[in-house]
Amino acid sequence: MSRPAEATHEPALEIRFGQVGLAQLRLRTTDPAACVDELTGRIASAPPGFFERTAVCVDLTMLEREPEIAEMRTVLDAVRRAGMLVVGLTSGTDAIAGLARALALPILPAFRVPKKPPAPTQVPTGQPAAAAGTSAAALVHQQPVRSGQRVYARQHDLVVTATVGAGAEVMADGCVHVYGALRGRAMAGARGETAARIFCLTFHAELVSIAGVFRVFETIPGELAGQPVQAWLDGDALNVARLGG
Amino acid sequence: MTEIIVVTSGKGGVGKTTTAASLAAGLARRGKRVAVIDFDIGLRNLDLIMGCERRVVYDFVNVIQGDCTLRQALIKDKRLDNLFVLAASQTRDKEALSVEGVRRVLDELTADGFDYIICDSPAGIEKGAYLAMYFADRAIVVVNPEVSSVRDSDRILGLLASKTLRAEQGNGGVQEHLLLTRYSPRRVAAGEMLSVADVREILGLEVLGVVPESADVLSASNAGSPVILNAESIASHAYEDAVGRLLGEELPLRFVDEPKKGFFARMFGS
Repeated sequence: MSRPAEATHEPALEIRFGQVGLAQLRLRTTDPAACVDELTGRIASAPPGFFERTAVCVDLTMLEREPEIAEMRTVLDAVRRAGMLVVGLTSGTDAIAGLARALALPILPAFRVPKKPPAPTQVPTGQPAAAAGTSAAALVHQQPVRSGQRVYARQHDLVVTATVGAGAEVMADGCVHVYGALRGRAMAGARGETAARIFCLTFHAELVSIAGVFRVFETIPGELAGQPVQAWLDGDALNVARLGG
Repeated sequence: MTEIIVVTSGKGGVGKTTTAASLAAGLARRGKRVAVIDFDIGLRNLDLIMGCERRVVYDFVNVIQGDCTLRQALIKDKRLDNLFVLAASQTRDKEALSVEGVRRVLDELTADGFDYIICDSPAGIEKGAYLAMYFADRAIVVVNPEVSSVRDSDRILGLLASKTLRAEQGNGGVQEHLLLTRYSPRRVAAGEMLSVADVREILGLEVLGVVPESADVLSASNAGSPVILNAESIASHAYEDAVGRLLGEELPLRFVDEPKKGFFARMFGS
Protein backbone atom coordinates (compact mmCIF):
# COMPACT_ATOMS: atom_id res chain seq x y z
CA MET A 1 0.00 0.00 0.00
CA SER A 2 1.60 3.22 -1.06
CA ARG A 3 -1.29 5.53 -0.28
CA PRO A 4 -2.62 6.54 3.11
CA ALA A 5 -5.37 4.05 3.77
CA GLU A 6 -7.83 6.54 5.25
CA ALA A 7 -7.31 9.42 2.82
CA THR A 8 -10.30 10.33 0.71
CA HIS A 9 -8.39 12.21 -2.00
CA GLU A 10 -5.55 11.07 -4.18
CA PRO A 11 -2.49 12.99 -2.94
CA ALA A 12 -0.79 15.33 -5.43
CA LEU A 13 2.57 13.71 -4.84
CA GLU A 14 4.28 11.04 -2.80
CA ILE A 15 7.59 11.05 -1.07
CA ARG A 16 8.99 7.56 -0.86
CA PHE A 17 12.29 6.40 0.45
CA GLY A 18 13.72 3.43 -1.27
CA GLN A 19 16.73 2.15 -3.09
CA VAL A 20 17.17 2.64 -6.79
CA GLY A 21 19.76 1.02 -9.00
CA LEU A 22 22.53 3.46 -9.71
CA ALA A 23 25.85 2.90 -11.46
CA GLN A 24 28.84 4.07 -9.52
CA LEU A 25 31.85 5.43 -11.34
CA ARG A 26 34.87 4.94 -9.14
CA LEU A 27 37.68 7.19 -10.33
CA ARG A 28 41.26 6.05 -9.88
CA THR A 29 42.71 9.03 -11.68
CA THR A 30 41.59 12.54 -12.52
CA ASP A 31 43.45 12.56 -15.85
CA PRO A 32 40.61 13.38 -18.30
CA ALA A 33 42.32 11.72 -21.27
CA ALA A 34 42.80 8.44 -19.40
CA CYS A 35 39.16 8.55 -18.23
CA VAL A 36 37.80 9.18 -21.72
CA ASP A 37 39.95 6.36 -23.17
CA GLU A 38 38.77 3.92 -20.55
CA LEU A 39 35.11 4.94 -20.85
CA THR A 40 35.08 4.75 -24.66
CA GLY A 41 36.61 1.27 -24.42
CA ARG A 42 33.93 0.13 -21.94
CA ILE A 43 31.09 1.65 -23.92
CA ALA A 44 32.33 0.05 -27.15
CA SER A 45 32.35 -3.41 -25.55
CA ALA A 46 28.85 -2.96 -24.03
CA PRO A 47 25.61 -3.57 -25.99
CA PRO A 48 24.71 -0.55 -28.15
CA GLY A 49 23.02 2.22 -26.15
CA PHE A 50 23.70 0.44 -22.84
CA PHE A 51 25.43 3.42 -21.25
CA GLU A 52 23.40 6.03 -23.16
CA ARG A 53 22.11 8.57 -20.60
CA THR A 54 23.01 6.29 -17.72
CA ALA A 55 22.80 8.00 -14.33
CA VAL A 56 26.07 7.63 -12.48
CA CYS A 57 27.26 8.53 -9.05
CA VAL A 58 30.92 9.45 -8.98
CA ASP A 59 32.99 7.88 -6.24
CA LEU A 60 36.16 9.79 -5.36
CA THR A 61 37.17 7.76 -2.34
CA MET A 62 39.76 5.68 -4.24
CA LEU A 63 41.75 8.72 -5.35
CA GLU A 64 45.04 9.39 -3.61
CA ARG A 65 44.07 12.98 -2.86
CA GLU A 66 40.94 15.09 -3.17
CA PRO A 67 40.92 16.71 -6.63
CA GLU A 68 40.77 20.46 -7.22
CA ILE A 69 37.51 21.93 -8.40
CA ALA A 70 38.85 22.80 -11.90
CA GLU A 71 40.24 19.27 -12.25
CA MET A 72 36.86 17.83 -11.28
CA ARG A 73 35.02 19.96 -13.83
CA THR A 74 37.27 18.63 -16.64
CA VAL A 75 36.78 15.01 -15.56
CA LEU A 76 33.02 15.37 -15.23
CA ASP A 77 32.88 16.99 -18.68
CA ALA A 78 34.73 13.96 -20.06
CA VAL A 79 32.25 11.61 -18.38
CA ARG A 80 29.32 13.56 -19.79
CA ARG A 81 30.85 13.54 -23.28
CA ALA A 82 30.97 9.75 -23.01
CA GLY A 83 27.15 9.84 -22.72
CA MET A 84 26.65 9.39 -18.98
CA LEU A 85 24.69 11.69 -16.67
CA VAL A 86 26.43 12.54 -13.41
CA VAL A 87 23.78 12.78 -10.67
CA GLY A 88 25.89 13.05 -7.56
CA LEU A 89 29.02 12.26 -5.62
CA THR A 90 29.37 9.32 -3.24
CA SER A 91 29.77 10.52 0.34
CA GLY A 92 33.25 10.47 1.80
CA THR A 93 35.41 13.15 3.32
CA ASP A 94 34.46 16.74 4.13
CA ALA A 95 36.51 17.87 1.11
CA ILE A 96 34.24 15.77 -1.12
CA ALA A 97 31.22 17.41 0.49
CA GLY A 98 32.78 20.80 -0.32
CA LEU A 99 33.39 19.77 -3.92
CA ALA A 100 29.78 18.58 -4.24
CA ARG A 101 28.55 21.96 -3.04
CA ALA A 102 30.80 23.80 -5.50
CA LEU A 103 29.63 21.56 -8.36
CA ALA A 104 25.95 21.86 -7.31
CA LEU A 105 25.72 18.06 -7.06
CA PRO A 106 24.08 16.14 -4.21
CA ILE A 107 26.01 13.80 -1.95
CA LEU A 108 24.60 10.29 -2.11
CA PRO A 109 25.23 8.10 0.92
CA ALA A 110 26.76 4.70 0.23
CA PHE A 111 24.60 1.84 1.47
CA ARG A 112 27.51 -0.53 1.68
CA VAL A 113 31.09 0.20 2.52
CA PRO A 114 33.23 -1.15 -0.35
CA LYS A 115 34.61 -4.48 0.67
CA LYS A 116 37.78 -6.18 -0.38
CA PRO A 117 37.21 -9.45 -2.26
CA PRO A 118 36.98 -12.37 0.18
CA ALA A 119 39.99 -14.62 0.68
CA PRO A 120 39.72 -17.84 -1.38
CA THR A 121 39.28 -20.09 1.65
CA GLN A 122 37.29 -18.76 4.56
CA VAL A 123 37.32 -20.35 7.98
CA PRO A 124 33.80 -20.13 9.46
CA THR A 125 33.81 -18.10 12.65
CA GLY A 126 31.64 -18.67 15.69
CA GLN A 127 30.37 -15.11 15.74
CA PRO A 128 26.72 -14.45 14.86
CA ALA A 129 26.23 -12.33 11.79
CA ALA A 130 25.26 -8.74 12.52
CA ALA A 131 22.19 -7.42 10.77
CA ALA A 132 23.14 -5.75 7.51
CA GLY A 133 23.79 -2.04 7.86
CA THR A 134 23.06 -1.80 11.59
CA SER A 135 25.49 -2.09 14.42
CA ALA A 136 24.90 -4.33 17.38
CA ALA A 137 23.36 -2.22 20.15
CA ALA A 138 20.08 -0.38 19.76
CA LEU A 139 19.59 3.25 20.75
CA VAL A 140 17.73 3.15 24.08
CA HIS A 141 15.60 6.13 25.04
CA GLN A 142 14.26 5.97 28.61
CA GLN A 143 12.37 9.28 28.90
CA PRO A 144 8.90 9.84 27.50
CA VAL A 145 9.05 11.21 23.95
CA ARG A 146 6.85 14.30 24.24
CA SER A 147 4.75 16.05 21.64
CA GLY A 148 7.03 17.90 19.22
CA GLN A 149 10.11 15.82 20.02
CA ARG A 150 11.85 13.53 17.54
CA VAL A 151 14.12 10.63 18.30
CA TYR A 152 16.06 9.05 15.44
CA ALA A 153 18.28 5.99 15.68
CA ARG A 154 20.63 6.25 12.70
CA GLN A 155 21.75 2.81 11.52
CA HIS A 156 20.33 1.27 14.69
CA ASP A 157 17.16 -0.13 16.16
CA LEU A 158 15.35 2.23 18.53
CA VAL A 159 14.05 1.12 21.92
CA VAL A 160 11.81 3.53 23.86
CA THR A 161 11.00 2.37 27.39
CA ALA A 162 8.35 5.06 27.99
CA THR A 163 5.41 6.52 26.13
CA VAL A 164 5.56 8.30 22.77
CA GLY A 165 3.11 11.22 22.98
CA ALA A 166 0.70 12.41 20.32
CA GLY A 167 2.60 14.64 17.90
CA ALA A 168 5.96 13.02 18.74
CA GLU A 169 8.07 11.09 16.21
CA VAL A 170 10.23 8.05 16.71
CA MET A 171 12.36 6.89 13.79
CA ALA A 172 15.00 4.28 13.17
CA ASP A 173 16.94 2.85 10.26
CA GLY A 174 16.21 -0.52 11.87
CA CYS A 175 13.23 -1.59 13.99
CA VAL A 176 11.28 0.60 16.44
CA HIS A 177 10.27 -0.87 19.81
CA VAL A 178 8.05 1.10 22.19
CA TYR A 179 7.60 -0.43 25.65
CA GLY A 180 4.74 1.89 26.50
CA ALA A 181 1.94 3.65 24.67
CA LEU A 182 2.58 4.77 21.09
CA ARG A 183 0.36 7.81 20.44
CA GLY A 184 2.55 9.64 17.93
CA ARG A 185 4.29 8.56 14.73
CA ALA A 186 6.65 5.65 14.33
CA MET A 187 8.89 5.10 11.32
CA ALA A 188 11.06 2.04 10.90
CA GLY A 189 13.44 1.32 8.03
CA ALA A 190 13.91 5.05 7.49
CA ARG A 191 16.55 4.36 4.84
CA GLY A 192 14.61 1.74 2.98
CA GLU A 193 15.16 -1.39 5.08
CA THR A 194 12.00 -3.32 4.20
CA ALA A 195 12.56 -6.02 6.85
CA ALA A 196 12.31 -3.47 9.66
CA ARG A 197 9.33 -3.73 12.02
CA ILE A 198 7.52 -1.63 14.60
CA PHE A 199 6.45 -3.00 17.97
CA CYS A 200 4.57 -1.31 20.78
CA LEU A 201 2.80 -2.31 23.99
CA THR A 202 -0.21 0.01 23.73
CA PHE A 203 -1.22 1.04 20.25
CA HIS A 204 -2.75 4.49 19.67
CA ALA A 205 -0.46 5.59 16.82
CA GLU A 206 -1.24 8.46 14.46
CA LEU A 207 0.92 7.00 11.72
CA VAL A 208 3.20 4.03 11.19
CA SER A 209 5.65 3.75 8.33
CA ILE A 210 8.11 1.11 7.21
CA ALA A 211 10.62 1.84 4.44
CA GLY A 212 8.46 4.70 3.21
CA VAL A 213 5.19 2.75 3.08
CA PHE A 214 2.89 4.38 5.57
CA ARG A 215 -0.55 4.14 7.04
CA VAL A 216 -2.42 6.96 8.77
CA PHE A 217 -4.81 6.05 11.58
CA GLU A 218 -7.57 8.59 11.60
CA THR A 219 -9.53 6.12 13.67
CA ILE A 220 -7.88 3.08 15.16
CA PRO A 221 -9.60 -0.24 14.45
CA GLY A 222 -11.22 -1.61 17.62
CA GLU A 223 -9.15 -4.80 17.60
CA LEU A 224 -5.89 -2.77 17.66
CA ALA A 225 -6.66 0.20 19.94
CA GLY A 226 -4.77 -0.05 23.20
CA GLN A 227 -3.36 -3.47 22.26
CA PRO A 228 0.20 -4.73 21.94
CA VAL A 229 0.81 -4.47 18.21
CA GLN A 230 3.45 -5.08 15.58
CA ALA A 231 3.69 -3.69 12.07
CA TRP A 232 5.63 -5.21 9.19
CA LEU A 233 5.95 -4.97 5.45
CA ASP A 234 4.80 -7.72 3.13
CA GLY A 235 5.75 -6.67 -0.38
CA ASP A 236 4.07 -3.31 -0.78
CA ALA A 237 1.45 -3.97 1.92
CA LEU A 238 1.89 -2.61 5.41
CA ASN A 239 0.42 -5.03 7.94
CA VAL A 240 -0.56 -4.06 11.46
CA ALA A 241 -1.70 -6.78 13.83
CA ARG A 242 -2.03 -7.68 17.47
CA LEU A 243 1.03 -9.26 19.02
CA GLY A 244 0.70 -12.70 20.54
CA GLY A 245 -2.45 -13.74 18.70
CA MET B 1 18.41 27.34 49.73
CA THR B 2 16.27 29.07 47.10
CA GLU B 3 13.99 27.01 44.91
CA ILE B 4 12.92 28.37 41.54
CA ILE B 5 9.51 27.12 40.42
CA VAL B 6 8.06 27.83 36.98
CA VAL B 7 4.30 27.73 36.46
CA THR B 8 3.75 26.96 32.80
CA SER B 9 1.33 25.24 30.39
CA GLY B 10 1.86 26.02 26.72
CA LYS B 11 -1.80 26.82 26.28
CA GLY B 12 -3.28 30.13 27.37
CA GLY B 13 -6.21 30.65 29.70
CA VAL B 14 -5.75 27.45 31.71
CA GLY B 15 -5.02 29.21 35.00
CA LYS B 16 -1.26 29.75 35.14
CA THR B 17 -1.40 33.19 36.74
CA THR B 18 -4.18 32.16 39.16
CA THR B 19 -2.04 29.17 40.15
CA ALA B 20 1.19 31.20 40.48
CA ALA B 21 -0.57 33.77 42.67
CA SER B 22 -2.24 31.18 44.91
CA LEU B 23 0.85 29.01 45.34
CA ALA B 24 2.96 32.09 46.14
CA ALA B 25 0.41 33.32 48.69
CA GLY B 26 0.04 29.82 50.15
CA LEU B 27 3.80 29.39 50.60
CA ALA B 28 4.12 32.88 52.07
CA ARG B 29 1.30 32.17 54.52
CA ARG B 30 3.32 29.19 55.76
CA GLY B 31 6.18 31.52 56.62
CA LYS B 32 8.27 31.13 53.46
CA ARG B 33 9.84 34.19 51.87
CA VAL B 34 8.43 34.25 48.33
CA ALA B 35 8.94 36.35 45.21
CA VAL B 36 6.57 35.88 42.28
CA ILE B 37 7.68 37.17 38.87
CA ASP B 38 5.46 37.89 35.85
CA PHE B 39 7.28 36.80 32.66
CA ASP B 40 4.40 37.78 30.39
CA ILE B 41 6.00 40.98 29.10
CA GLY B 42 3.46 43.12 27.27
CA LEU B 43 0.43 41.31 28.70
CA ARG B 44 0.94 41.85 32.38
CA ASN B 45 -1.76 40.23 34.53
CA LEU B 46 -0.17 38.95 37.72
CA ASP B 47 -0.32 42.40 39.36
CA LEU B 48 -4.09 42.43 38.79
CA ILE B 49 -4.62 38.98 40.32
CA MET B 50 -2.39 40.00 43.25
CA GLY B 51 -4.23 43.31 43.61
CA CYS B 52 -1.16 45.54 43.34
CA GLU B 53 -1.67 46.98 39.85
CA ARG B 54 -1.81 50.56 41.08
CA ARG B 55 1.45 50.23 42.96
CA VAL B 56 3.63 49.21 40.00
CA VAL B 57 6.29 51.88 39.48
CA TYR B 58 9.20 49.86 38.18
CA ASP B 59 8.97 46.46 36.52
CA PHE B 60 11.02 43.38 35.54
CA VAL B 61 12.34 44.99 32.34
CA ASN B 62 13.42 48.14 34.23
CA VAL B 63 15.47 45.95 36.58
CA ILE B 64 17.07 44.03 33.69
CA GLN B 65 17.95 47.26 31.88
CA GLY B 66 19.36 48.83 35.04
CA ASP B 67 16.81 51.67 35.28
CA CYS B 68 16.23 50.81 38.94
CA THR B 69 17.36 48.41 41.63
CA LEU B 70 15.60 45.11 42.25
CA ARG B 71 14.57 46.37 45.69
CA GLN B 72 12.77 49.34 44.12
CA ALA B 73 10.83 47.10 41.74
CA LEU B 74 9.73 44.43 44.23
CA ILE B 75 6.19 45.19 45.42
CA LYS B 76 5.47 44.01 48.95
CA ASP B 77 2.10 42.33 49.35
CA LYS B 78 -0.32 44.15 51.66
CA ARG B 79 -1.72 40.96 53.21
CA LEU B 80 1.40 38.85 53.64
CA ASP B 81 4.67 40.40 54.85
CA ASN B 82 7.02 37.92 53.19
CA LEU B 83 5.42 37.93 49.73
CA PHE B 84 6.80 40.12 46.93
CA VAL B 85 5.65 40.70 43.37
CA LEU B 86 7.86 41.64 40.40
CA ALA B 87 5.50 42.90 37.71
CA ALA B 88 5.95 42.53 33.95
CA SER B 89 6.30 45.55 31.74
CA GLN B 90 3.15 46.39 29.83
CA THR B 91 4.81 48.71 27.32
CA ARG B 92 7.68 46.51 26.13
CA ASP B 93 7.72 43.23 24.26
CA LYS B 94 9.29 39.94 25.20
CA GLU B 95 12.48 40.76 23.29
CA ALA B 96 13.38 43.04 26.22
CA LEU B 97 14.19 39.93 28.29
CA SER B 98 17.59 38.25 28.01
CA VAL B 99 19.07 35.10 29.49
CA GLU B 100 21.79 37.14 31.21
CA GLY B 101 19.30 39.70 32.56
CA VAL B 102 17.01 36.99 33.97
CA ARG B 103 19.97 35.18 35.47
CA ARG B 104 21.09 38.39 37.22
CA VAL B 105 17.65 39.03 38.75
CA LEU B 106 17.28 35.41 39.93
CA ASP B 107 20.82 35.45 41.39
CA GLU B 108 20.07 38.65 43.25
CA LEU B 109 16.82 37.22 44.69
CA THR B 110 18.72 34.09 45.73
CA ALA B 111 21.42 36.17 47.44
CA ASP B 112 18.66 38.11 49.19
CA GLY B 113 17.57 34.89 50.94
CA PHE B 114 14.23 34.18 49.27
CA ASP B 115 12.97 30.62 49.89
CA TYR B 116 10.91 30.41 46.71
CA ILE B 117 10.93 32.26 43.40
CA ILE B 118 7.76 31.57 41.40
CA CYS B 119 8.05 32.34 37.69
CA ASP B 120 4.66 32.92 36.03
CA SER B 121 5.22 31.90 32.40
CA PRO B 122 3.42 33.41 29.41
CA ALA B 123 1.47 31.09 27.12
CA GLY B 124 3.19 29.73 24.04
CA ILE B 125 6.64 28.29 23.57
CA GLU B 126 8.51 31.42 22.56
CA LYS B 127 11.15 33.48 24.27
CA GLY B 128 9.13 34.53 27.33
CA ALA B 129 8.09 30.96 28.14
CA TYR B 130 11.60 29.69 27.42
CA LEU B 131 13.21 32.22 29.78
CA ALA B 132 10.60 31.56 32.50
CA MET B 133 11.51 27.86 32.53
CA TYR B 134 15.23 28.06 31.77
CA PHE B 135 16.52 28.42 35.34
CA ALA B 136 13.78 26.39 37.08
CA ASP B 137 14.42 23.68 39.65
CA ARG B 138 10.80 22.57 39.53
CA ALA B 139 7.99 23.01 37.05
CA ILE B 140 4.28 23.03 37.68
CA VAL B 141 2.48 22.32 34.43
CA VAL B 142 -1.08 23.63 34.63
CA VAL B 143 -3.45 21.56 32.54
CA ASN B 144 -7.20 21.61 31.92
CA PRO B 145 -8.89 18.23 31.49
CA GLU B 146 -9.34 18.54 27.72
CA VAL B 147 -7.31 17.15 24.83
CA SER B 148 -5.74 20.33 23.42
CA SER B 149 -4.49 21.43 26.82
CA VAL B 150 -3.07 17.95 27.46
CA ARG B 151 -1.32 17.99 24.08
CA ASP B 152 0.24 21.40 24.75
CA SER B 153 1.34 20.27 28.20
CA ASP B 154 3.06 17.28 26.64
CA ARG B 155 4.94 19.68 24.37
CA ILE B 156 5.97 21.86 27.31
CA LEU B 157 7.15 18.80 29.25
CA GLY B 158 9.35 17.94 26.27
CA LEU B 159 10.88 21.42 26.34
CA LEU B 160 11.40 21.21 30.11
CA ALA B 161 13.33 17.99 29.53
CA SER B 162 15.61 19.57 26.93
CA LYS B 163 15.64 23.38 26.96
CA THR B 164 16.43 24.13 30.61
CA LEU B 165 19.70 24.77 32.40
CA ARG B 166 19.22 21.66 34.55
CA ALA B 167 18.61 19.53 31.45
CA GLU B 168 21.71 20.98 29.76
CA GLN B 169 23.85 20.33 32.82
CA GLY B 170 22.42 16.83 33.03
CA ASN B 171 21.98 16.91 36.83
CA GLY B 172 18.63 15.20 37.06
CA GLY B 173 16.65 17.75 35.07
CA VAL B 174 13.71 19.79 36.27
CA GLN B 175 11.32 18.13 38.71
CA GLU B 176 7.94 18.08 36.95
CA HIS B 177 4.45 18.24 38.47
CA LEU B 178 0.98 18.38 36.98
CA LEU B 179 -1.75 20.59 38.34
CA LEU B 180 -5.25 20.12 36.97
CA THR B 181 -7.51 23.14 37.02
CA ARG B 182 -11.15 23.71 36.06
CA TYR B 183 -11.92 20.12 36.99
CA SER B 184 -15.59 19.23 37.04
CA PRO B 185 -16.32 15.79 38.57
CA ARG B 186 -19.88 15.98 37.23
CA ARG B 187 -18.69 16.42 33.64
CA VAL B 188 -16.07 13.73 34.05
CA ALA B 189 -18.78 11.33 35.25
CA ALA B 190 -20.85 12.29 32.20
CA GLY B 191 -17.90 11.47 29.95
CA GLU B 192 -17.55 15.07 28.76
CA MET B 193 -14.17 15.70 30.32
CA LEU B 194 -10.92 13.75 30.76
CA SER B 195 -10.50 12.29 34.24
CA VAL B 196 -7.48 12.71 36.52
CA ALA B 197 -6.54 9.13 35.68
CA ASP B 198 -6.71 9.85 31.92
CA VAL B 199 -4.46 12.90 32.17
CA ARG B 200 -2.05 11.11 34.49
CA GLU B 201 -1.85 8.19 32.07
CA ILE B 202 -1.37 10.27 28.92
CA LEU B 203 1.32 12.51 30.41
CA GLY B 204 2.90 9.85 32.61
CA LEU B 205 3.21 12.15 35.62
CA GLU B 206 1.72 12.36 39.11
CA VAL B 207 -0.59 15.26 39.93
CA LEU B 208 0.34 17.88 42.51
CA GLY B 209 -3.25 18.94 42.86
CA VAL B 210 -6.69 19.07 41.30
CA VAL B 211 -8.49 22.41 41.48
CA PRO B 212 -12.22 22.10 40.87
CA GLU B 213 -14.07 24.46 38.55
CA SER B 214 -15.36 27.23 40.79
CA ALA B 215 -16.96 30.63 40.34
CA ASP B 216 -14.81 31.85 43.25
CA VAL B 217 -11.74 31.86 40.99
CA LEU B 218 -13.18 34.56 38.73
CA SER B 219 -14.47 36.66 41.61
CA ALA B 220 -11.10 36.39 43.37
CA SER B 221 -9.34 37.59 40.19
CA ASN B 222 -11.69 40.53 39.87
CA ALA B 223 -11.17 41.40 43.53
CA GLY B 224 -7.38 41.24 43.15
CA SER B 225 -6.92 38.60 45.83
CA PRO B 226 -5.42 35.14 45.22
CA VAL B 227 -8.24 32.59 45.52
CA ILE B 228 -6.27 30.60 48.11
CA LEU B 229 -6.97 33.42 50.61
CA ASN B 230 -10.75 32.90 50.34
CA ALA B 231 -11.12 30.27 53.07
CA GLU B 232 -14.69 29.47 52.07
CA SER B 233 -13.87 28.36 48.54
CA ILE B 234 -13.16 24.73 47.61
CA ALA B 235 -10.60 26.07 45.09
CA SER B 236 -8.76 27.55 48.06
CA HIS B 237 -8.67 24.16 49.83
CA ALA B 238 -7.42 22.47 46.67
CA TYR B 239 -4.58 25.01 46.29
CA GLU B 240 -3.76 24.68 49.97
CA ASP B 241 -3.39 20.91 49.46
CA ALA B 242 -1.11 21.56 46.46
CA VAL B 243 1.09 23.84 48.58
CA GLY B 244 1.26 21.10 51.23
CA ARG B 245 2.31 18.51 48.63
CA LEU B 246 4.90 20.92 47.22
CA LEU B 247 6.39 21.01 50.73
CA GLY B 248 6.46 17.22 50.87
CA GLU B 249 3.22 16.42 52.70
CA GLU B 250 1.27 13.33 51.65
CA LEU B 251 -2.36 14.33 51.20
CA PRO B 252 -5.23 12.49 49.54
CA LEU B 253 -6.75 14.11 46.44
CA ARG B 254 -10.00 15.96 47.20
CA PHE B 255 -12.78 17.27 44.98
CA VAL B 256 -12.22 14.64 42.28
CA ASP B 257 -15.46 12.72 42.84
CA GLU B 258 -18.97 13.93 42.36
CA PRO B 259 -20.43 14.84 45.76
CA LYS B 260 -22.85 12.16 46.92
CA LYS B 261 -26.38 13.28 47.55
CA GLY B 262 -28.41 12.33 50.59
CA PHE B 263 -28.47 9.43 52.99
CA PHE B 264 -29.48 6.68 50.56
CA ALA B 265 -26.81 7.61 48.10
CA ARG B 266 -24.25 7.28 50.87
CA MET B 267 -25.63 3.95 52.08
CA PHE B 268 -26.29 2.25 48.79
CA GLY B 269 -24.45 4.34 46.23
CA SER B 270 -21.55 2.83 44.32
